[in-house]
Amino acid sequence: MRKRIELSVVVPIYNEEESTPVLCEAILHVCQSLAVPYEIIFIDDGSKDGTPQVLEKLHQEYSNIRVIQFRKNYGQTLAMAAGFRAARGKYVVSMDGDLQNDPADIPKILHTLEQGYGVVCGWRKDRKDKLVSRKIPSKIANWLIGKITRVPIHDNGCSLKGYRRSVVKQLPLYADFHRFIPAMSTLGGAKIAEIVVNHRERSFGSSKYGISRAWRVFLDLFVVSLIVRSSARPALWFGKFGLVALLAGIGCFMIFLAYNISGIVLPSVAFMFFALTGHLVALGVLGEMILATGDYRPGQMVRDGILAINRDKGASLHE
Amino acid sequence: MTVIAMNPSSTDSHSATHEASNPPLAVSLVVPVVERSQDIEAVYHAYTSILDKLSLTFECIFVIDGGDRRVMNVLEALPSTKCPLKIIPLPYYFGESMALAVGFEQAAGDVIITVPPYFQTVPEGIEQVLKRLDEGNDLVVTKRWPRVDAWFNRLQTRMFHNLVNRLTGQSLSDLGSGLRAMKRPVAKEISLYGDLHRFLPLLAYQKGFRIAEVEIPQHTADSQHRVYRPGVYLRRILDLLTVVFLFKFTKKPLRFFGLIGSGLFAVGFCVSALLALERMLGVTSLSDRPLLILGVLLMVLGVQVGSIGLLGEIIIFTHARKLKEYTIRKFYR
Repeated sequence: MRKRIELSVVVPIYNEEESTPVLCEAILHVCQSLAVPYEIIFIDDGSKDGTPQVLEKLHQEYSNIRVIQFRKNYGQTLAMAAGFRAARGKYVVSMDGDLQNDPADIPKILHTLEQGYGVVCGWRKDRKDKLVSRKIPSKIANWLIGKITRVPIHDNGCSLKGYRRSVVKQLPLYADFHRFIPAMSTLGGAKIAEIVVNHRERSFGSSKYGISRAWRVFLDLFVVSLIVRSSARPALWFGKFGLVALLAGIGCFMIFLAYNISGIVLPSVAFMFFALTGHLVALGVLGEMILATGDYRPGQMVRDGILAINRDKGASLHE
Repeated sequence: MTVIAMNPSSTDSHSATHEASNPPLAVSLVVPVVERSQDIEAVYHAYTSILDKLSLTFECIFVIDGGDRRVMNVLEALPSTKCPLKIIPLPYYFGESMALAVGFEQAAGDVIITVPPYFQTVPEGIEQVLKRLDEGNDLVVTKRWPRVDAWFNRLQTRMFHNLVNRLTGQSLSDLGSGLRAMKRPVAKEISLYGDLHRFLPLLAYQKGFRIAEVEIPQHTADSQHRVYRPGVYLRRILDLLTVVFLFKFTKKPLRFFGLIGSGLFAVGFCVSALLALERMLGVTSLSDRPLLILGVLLMVLGVQVGSIGLLGEIIIFTHARKLKEYTIRKFYR
């Protein structure tokens, strides 16, 4: 009989033919020292260099290395999504393929997960990157993400994260949303922890990020926070704005009546606001119907046995 | 020779039995017979003799849109000694996309080549197309070049493709050329309907297939002057917009609707704010300014459009785990 896998390590890789073997050795070394059944899943995100061949060789060499080869470059979020879908372990750890994350942190993450947390986020407290182009924008972005999603994590962009299986299988990962995994998983009711992890200088290849994505991250942040807020209870969320529109309509009408103003402008405006109210209420109801037929339920993970504490105050953090 | 009575609902069972009974084939030649079928016999002989010369095992699949009896008679009289022949009449006029889709379902070859039922490019082009496919591409499309037809045809082709390439970021130059070669997965994974066959390379690109374009000289028989009715041009543009929407925004409805909605809202807000300012300065009273209705209407419309985009996002969010946006070439388990 097959042993039940305890740990899945998911590593998206894009054009890293030099660092991949080194990284693989390091992860294998750490996993072997843990003495639990494990698997390593590499996702080749449509690399254009020799990465696919390197990964194929590693797969032939070690029995617990699995490799998913994408047809083209789809980005880190989808690579992670594919890895998560394939993962069989009770706990799943994701990390970058560029050696900047340290596999030696895996045991620490695993230990924290075993204490009952749904998500464990790495925090690159001492980050080895360029100050102006990487560290400062990231600090601002994280502050903003924390404020808007109400999940104050120091380092959303750190790929080194650990998850409980039920969380990973619940996460809706698409578009560019891997940065918002903590925010999205709290919606499901997962308990979040944050630990300081090691961060190393890049030794091979070049970084695939640039300041140019700032705008896209900002847009995504806006979208994610809207989704997270509205999809918990669509009828209430849309209804709230419907109420505002209703009050605005009533206000216009009252002014019209109270001051005995002639002309049809104010009543027309009032009716428009009423129409908007109807529209929003209808959308809210439609939203509830969509939620009822979809496979995402807010609080699903709570039912799966991971208790959320202090959801209203955001995630519970510790270092 | 097999004549398969086509009934769109029974395609699955047919393809299953055929794939099971036939020995492995290198090439399936799929001919969607939609228009200009008078040369079809010559087309058949030209292509099959080239494939014979290349000593490949192949089959021919003719899908006859509307099941035209005259074409059926011609095809049924063809000698079936050269290769297995499948003749599939469609019971109704479904168009080229449907004809191709049915042909793809019946195709048993490792490589599938689509050929128009008339001479559009020189038949020798099939060799070049196959060669490029062997170089590691998944789909090879063709460009009729050098061209022999009227300058007006070329001009409208050029303009249309400029628009396509600008909107999709691709560099395609002849979507109307019917000669294409693809590996089996391309034909089996892409679902064609409506007029989508024209945009096959775009759909294949989205699925992550490698695409190449080769230049094949245009056949002299393809030189007719093509001026269409205005409706045709309009339909082509609408098709393009549909494809672009599918291409760019299906997974990001809020980007699309949100942009439109916030634009409308901003204009409405500015108009209303201006009027409010005038009112506060005592220039005019609001009830005398019908412009206020427009301002508020735009704001309301902006909220409505934007909220529909948000609802779209909720749909995707709640169904995201069933979505698979990526395509896997290989999984080493």
